[in-house]
Amino acid sequence: MLRSPSKLDEPRAATDPFPRLLPRLLLVGGLIGFVASFVLTVEKIALLKNPAYVPSCSINPVLSCGSIMRTPQAELLGFPNPLLGIAGFAVVTAVGAALLAGARPRRWFWLGLQAGVIAGAVFIHWLIFQSLYVIGALCPYCMVVWAVTMPIFWYVSLHNLSGASSGTRRKLTEYHTVTLTVWYLAILTLIGIRFWSYWSSLL
Amino acid sequence: MSREQERTETRRAKVEAVREEGRRQDARRRNLKVSLVVVGVFVMVVAAFVLINRLDAAGEQAGQLAAGETQFVRKDSHKLQTAPDGKVTLVEFLDFECEACKAYFPTVEEIRKQYAGKVTFVARYFPIASHFNAERAARAVEAAAQQGKFEPMYQQMYETQSQWAEKKVAADPFFRQLAQRLGLDMAAWDKAYDDPATLARVKKDAADGQALGVQGTPTFFLNEKKIEPRSSDEFKAAIDAALAK
Repeated sequence: MLRSPSKLDEPRAATDPFPRLLPRLLLVGGLIGFVASFVLTVEKIALLKNPAYVPSCSINPVLSCGSIMRTPQAELLGFPNPLLGIAGFAVVTAVGAALLAGARPRRWFWLGLQAGVIAGAVFIHWLIFQSLYVIGALCPYCMVVWAVTMPIFWYVSLHNLSGASSGTRRKLTEYHTVTLTVWYLAILTLIGIRFWSYWSSLL
Repeated sequence: MSREQERTETRRAKVEAVREEGRRQDARRRNLKVSLVVVGVFVMVVAAFVLINRLDAAGEQAGQLAAGETQFVRKDSHKLQTAPDGKVTLVEFLDFECEACKAYFPTVEEIRKQYAGKVTFVARYFPIASHFNAERAARAVEAAAQQGKFEPMYQQMYETQSQWAEKKVAADPFFRQLAQRLGLDMAAWDKAYDDPATLARVKKDAADGQALGVQGTPTFFLNEKKIEPRSSDEFKAAIDAALAK
């Protein structure tokens, strides 16, 4: 991609490490997370209407959102968690669309988004821990949310880190998918070990 | 700036941009390569782990089956009732905290009465990890079974299920009361309840279930064939068919 000299001089070229990836990721990832949260909310309402309702994602003892949705962990702040997802992912989607349309938000906007994705990342890791080690079941829609939150957090963080120029930052940006891959595999490993007795029955 | 100078500037900038793009491409390739290597190593480790595990399991299964045993019915499996001719055997893998098992319980009781002397009924433990008290309940029943009270304890578990199930608190005192109600030797029951051997006995049943592909409870095997009756009529039809063979 060739740029005109005047554009090359702009600092943006250096500070935005993923000018094309990030908006698309936010748009698509936000949409996926939104749909998953929305479905979870609908299932939760169905469950409230009829306590005997078996959600579409309760497939077997391990893959079961019914048992998870009934736990207190599913309502951390006193209302069902997916409501947070509906709001949060809608924002992420809108930001992605705005960036695609050429919006260049100010620093404070990025920092706000950063605060949001940090909260999201902390929250899903708490949920992963609860799901694996306290509740002992996996909920497929929740796992979709885990899967999209991780890259959203990662690329927003890399974008915001790009203001500072340090060796570590450059390395992280250069090997961006390596970190993400290791992250995914680590969680996959935890899931594999925790439910090993179940997975091995499928082999 | 003269026009000549300007052109030189532009050319230099272009060269610089091309170089920059090349550097980026290199970085992209390196990133992709390292990521793929990480995935590759992971897949290899998992494959090796699964393979070793499988070989182990295969060895264990073959070695552990005693004469006259199958993975469906072991020597120590609890028989609720026995048919003298041994022609038809119904094996249930059950979890005392599972609602579906409780829903089947009256049907099974009814069928047991109807086919007394004709069908052997075997109950096997299959406590599911996400049911907080399932393993405790199985231990409580196994501890009672050691005093010859498997059947009444098994019945009590389902009859009282709504009082203790789905609460994420240990139900040990409640199970102890159930044992007391049966007039068991409580010192022996307590000892058996906490004995790791009792837990091992429960886990052995569950391991057989897993080896047989049991994924949820209740899972019924009629003469070693998995059946999924949706009503007591379907249940009876399947048993009648097996008896008629």
